[in-house]
Amino acid sequence: MAAKCRFPVKNLLVHPVYTVGYGSKDHFTVPFYGLVAAMYGDGRPVRLAFDRYEQFQTSIKRHASKMRYRIGIDKKTLLLQSFKAEFEVDGGGRCNFSPSVAMVGASGAQSIYYFPKSDLTGVAIASRAIDAGSARGYGTLQTMAATEMLIDEIATQLGLDAIDLRLENALRSGMKNTQGAIPAGAIRVDEVLQKAKVHPLWTERAKKKAEYELAHPGNRYGVGFACVQKDFGTGAESSFAKVEIAADGKITLHHTAAEIGTGVNTSQAIACAKWLGKPAAEVRMAIIDWPELPVVTSGDPYTMSQGEQDKLSANPRWSPGLISPSSATNSAFYFTHSTHEAARVVFTHGLWPAAMAIWSGGIGGGQAAPLVVRREEARWVEGKLTAAGLEPLSLEQLASKAHDLGLVTGAVVHVFNRWQWSEAEFNIDGVTERLPIDGLSLLHGAGKTDAKTDAKADAKIDAKAAKAPVPAVYRALDRKRVFIAPVSRNNAAVTYYSAVGTLVELAVNEASGRVSLLTHHSIMECGNMLSPQLVSGQLQGGLAMGIGHALHEYLPLYEDGPGNGTWNFNRYHLPRASDVAVWAQTGEVLPPLSETDPPKGMAEVVMIPVVGAIVNGIAHAIGHRFNDLPVTPQNIQEALA
Amino acid sequence: MTAANPTPTPLMQQPLHQPLIQMKPISLTINGAAIGPIQTPDGLMMIDFLHEYVGLTGSRLGCGQGVCHACVVILDKPDGSSEEVRSCITGAHFFDGKKVRTIEGHAKRNEQGEVVELSPVQQKFLEHFSFQCGYCTPGFVNAATVLIERLKREPIARESVEHEITKALDDHICRCTGYVRYYEAVRDVVLNTPGLVKDSA
Amino acid sequence: MNRAILLRLGALALCAAALSACSGRPDEPAPVTHETAAEQIARGRYLAKAADCAACHTIPGGAPFAGGVKLGSPFGTFYGTNITPDPTHGIGKWSATQFYKTLHDGVAPDKQFYPAMPYTSYRTMSRADSDAIYAYLMAQKPAAVPNHEPDLKFPFNVRIAVMFWNMLFLKDSLPDASAGTSADWTRGRYLANALGHCAECHTPRGVFGQMNGAKTLQGSTLGRVEPPDITPAGLAARGWTSADLQAFFATGISRQGPAFGEMHPVVMLSTQYLSSGDLRALSTYMLGDAPLPPTPVQPGSADAAQVAAGRASYVAVCAGCHGREGEGKPHVAVSMQGSSTLRQADPHNLLVAMLDGVDATDFAGTESMQAMPGFAATLSDDELAHLANYLRSGWGGQPGDVTAANVKALR
Repeated sequence: MAAKCRFPVKNLLVHPVYTVGYGSKDHFTVPFYGLVAAMYGDGRPVRLAFDRYEQFQTSIKRHASKMRYRIGIDKKTLLLQSFKAEFEVDGGGRCNFSPSVAMVGASGAQSIYYFPKSDLTGVAIASRAIDAGSARGYGTLQTMAATEMLIDEIATQLGLDAIDLRLENALRSGMKNTQGAIPAGAIRVDEVLQKAKVHPLWTERAKKKAEYELAHPGNRYGVGFACVQKDFGTGAESSFAKVEIAADGKITLHHTAAEIGTGVNTSQAIACAKWLGKPAAEVRMAIIDWPELPVVTSGDPYTMSQGEQDKLSANPRWSPGLISPSSATNSAFYFTHSTHEAARVVFTHGLWPAAMAIWSGGIGGGQAAPLVVRREEARWVEGKLTAAGLEPLSLEQLASKAHDLGLVTGAVVHVFNRWQWSEAEFNIDGVTERLPIDGLSLLHGAGKTDAKTDAKADAKIDAKAAKAPVPAVYRALDRKRVFIAPVSRNNAAVTYYSAVGTLVELAVNEASGRVSLLTHHSIMECGNMLSPQLVSGQLQGGLAMGIGHALHEYLPLYEDGPGNGTWNFNRYHLPRASDVAVWAQTGEVLPPLSETDPPKGMAEVVMIPVVGAIVNGIAHAIGHRFNDLPVTPQNIQEALA
Repeated sequence: MTAANPTPTPLMQQPLHQPLIQMKPISLTINGAAIGPIQTPDGLMMIDFLHEYVGLTGSRLGCGQGVCHACVVILDKPDGSSEEVRSCITGAHFFDGKKVRTIEGHAKRNEQGEVVELSPVQQKFLEHFSFQCGYCTPGFVNAATVLIERLKREPIARESVEHEITKALDDHICRCTGYVRYYEAVRDVVLNTPGLVKDSA
Repeated sequence: MNRAILLRLGALALCAAALSACSGRPDEPAPVTHETAAEQIARGRYLAKAADCAACHTIPGGAPFAGGVKLGSPFGTFYGTNITPDPTHGIGKWSATQFYKTLHDGVAPDKQFYPAMPYTSYRTMSRADSDAIYAYLMAQKPAAVPNHEPDLKFPFNVRIAVMFWNMLFLKDSLPDASAGTSADWTRGRYLANALGHCAECHTPRGVFGQMNGAKTLQGSTLGRVEPPDITPAGLAARGWTSADLQAFFATGISRQGPAFGEMHPVVMLSTQYLSSGDLRALSTYMLGDAPLPPTPVQPGSADAAQVAAGRASYVAVCAGCHGREGEGKPHVAVSMQGSSTLRQADPHNLLVAMLDGVDATDFAGTESMQAMPGFAATLSDDELAHLANYLRSGWGGQPGDVTAANVKALR
């Protein structure tokens, strides 16, 4: 832009500084209006401020979606056989993420089930509605919630318990998704379902319905359940992370991730503890300048040909992607990866050799000599490093030693993931290692001296000069070979999933049509949690948003809608605490398979099953299934009339 | 252009003897400090006064029409009670001569103005991971503070605690958190601050 | 009522009891219709909405038509009864004829109803329509919710005296405030009197609680928010046109402001469901076949100092929503310009709105208003009086004659 414009632009600084958007700020055009306005500011700062009416007019909306489903099931085996679906998503006037939303929505429609045959078609249309784009759930909120409603309807028609039917058909580890790809890791939806199946909300629902309706004439009671798994990431995730440890043991983390309120600065600080024994003390987010590791990118990672990728990747500085925005629930898994890998390099090439140097110190190889000591047996216990029974060493001791010995005290990594991590070979201090990163830059401790200036060998050299350390700067390593996932892997569409099941207990008032949520319980599977409090906060927030989507939030698409500049929170009803069973709700997270499960992104999946569960719960309450959201009191009054 | 329909005078060149906007002085106390008199336009809303005239940007403009409550400030009344007032729909001059607390006033600061200790409500919000993007947080802090101060004057029974918290906070909209951690943090303050809950009767 | 009258009433009561059988034609056989049972129930559903049964017979959060709604009056508190098909507490054992007799004469199988049940208006409902409502109610879910006896002071708790009251005050038709002969006017009359029973709230009552036919629809003092004058002259004086009335009945909001107080549930439970033809007819009846032209607002006279003080309060606590020039915000806050409440000669409803505020409410479709706060604690009597005078003189065409004493009396 700076190059093409006719204004004398000397420098274009783009600082990513934004707060929460739930997707609505991804590839948003509005910052560019401010940019253009700044061109006319004669050097004065320009502020573009909207009020809430204008925000309603301009902000990117969720795609209104029409879905037509047909599911075939074998009545004898109770196994789902085929799934045919057509989706139409209304992208509004300007194409933002619509083709992608349509695609991801289609890929999510299978929810947690194995379909031997599927034929899913998604179309994104243009209309005069306000631009639609990325919104939490990204098409799968619409499609998966619909599938969960239909599965429930099938169960009712066949006289089956709705959770049993789900268990019969749940995906198991190693099975293919509807794109023909095998999802990452174990699929544990069956465990989520088993927990829901024995929960009192489910087992007691018939009895409680009779009791409640007797005690509250004019009100109907219902319990609904839904379970989904949602992918995270975009198929082109990339980030930089720099982990540095000072001589006094202070850990500093720099990351490209932008903090938008989800707490990624906290989670990434915590992530440093895996390899360094304690969290980072100083964290800088949204760093976009990386002079320590110059990486270049070009082309479109989704559409480039294999030949093109092979040619470009010959440049050891090239990666298919540069920096991902905070989006697509990408921090827990993807951003943690770069943080972990940077910290791991500092450990393996800095702290571990420092530890070995300390443990081997003294006569005959010290306390280490009599033992078999392997790096994979190292453990951090109460902030100190031990292995194979060796004396626990504090981080301060290790850092100080690493600096003295000129070992690696800082690492910058760049990573890329196309449903699989890029890997590359690097020569680090004489040893070739293949790591799941595509760029690496190292900082050695100040004690490192150039091998050619050995003060002892040449006594004529000035003593001070002989001890002059090599300046502590990052040196970017050229990778020897790189292994990027083949472009055909773009067809996998998605492979990383987390799962959530939600049980909802509700009451419907016959006269007013109002739905009250009495309580709800969610069961989540998301690997190892970096911060349980952040995870539970995302669950609680996602549930509220799903409740709003199912019962409260509605915007007309066209001229009566927010484009006319008169919409605000009096008509657009965001759920309040009293709408979400704030005191009664509960949630649980399945324990990880082991301490080595990676943390998985869960902040979108948490929003989705509650939507299906509410509609299913209303069906249990009043015997009517809705297929148009939100379900309003008027809708219920009409259904009961 | 005709005599009957002359080219209109551009706004900036119109004579000033009829000012378009009337200016009035405002003096008030904010966070214990006397402010003013400052000349401000008649009809200026309090939130714009806070943001543009006294540099207190902590109160948030969420909806601009009194629904979301992110903008509330605390009005301390002569009788010792306090209430939340929505600064986005209340004129600045309403506060002339009055005492107001904003979000910037709760933490203890040293002489350099650096925060040295958070208020109990703020501290509990941190410990409970109560906020995410933080936009609604000033409103929640103020609402919770008003509630705690009211309970000090009029303690309640234990079985009313959740209901009273809901009543005090339910008007405050949050998009991120789903409210649970905010409410649990406030309950934590209520139950663990002596004198707010009546001894079981 | 003094003792002498009471004794005379008591003496006549015996005659009244004997005569009650002549006060209607309850034994007339049910008219033959050609509609199916399903069609009749559908028609009954519509008519039950038009007659707004739910307002008195369904409490918020309660079972539909199971009764319990409190109706305050100068005579004590009444409670709507259970009209579900429950055999013990509701109308499950009633025939269509008995249902019609209740609507027509106020005489139920087990008792005489007080005219709090507006049979004084339902009296003009046709037998066919009564049967349709009956069919609809009998198809609803029975709710075993017991009825609540009215809380009345002596002598109003002497039910049998109502028969005598009927002799004096129960008429076969209600007076019209408007004039007309068109089909719309005639249909509107039926909607307003036989079904919507507007006069029951909007006509002032005499000392025995009877509607004062000489002042029909001129407004009454029933309730905290008082039903205003809705005669053709009263409506025109406040700027109402037929289009405005239709919008108001259909959505609860018009140029003149929103329905609030007791009128809001009337719109939400009843008039919003009327067909467009019936809305047009109802408005035609309200305004007459030859509506008066709406009166434009002329500023009223008021003391300048009061107006200045009132404006200061307006800018401080009202303008944030209602606009600095009273223009309001579309779909958010009503405009002061053209507000029907400001244009009422009696400042009562304005003062009540300013003191109490208005609860957040939904309207038809996607319309939804946030709460208006009450200013009883925020503004003094003087401040509220000055503010009222600023509003009324500036936008209501009324004189600025509200005093602090007026405000205080309403706290």
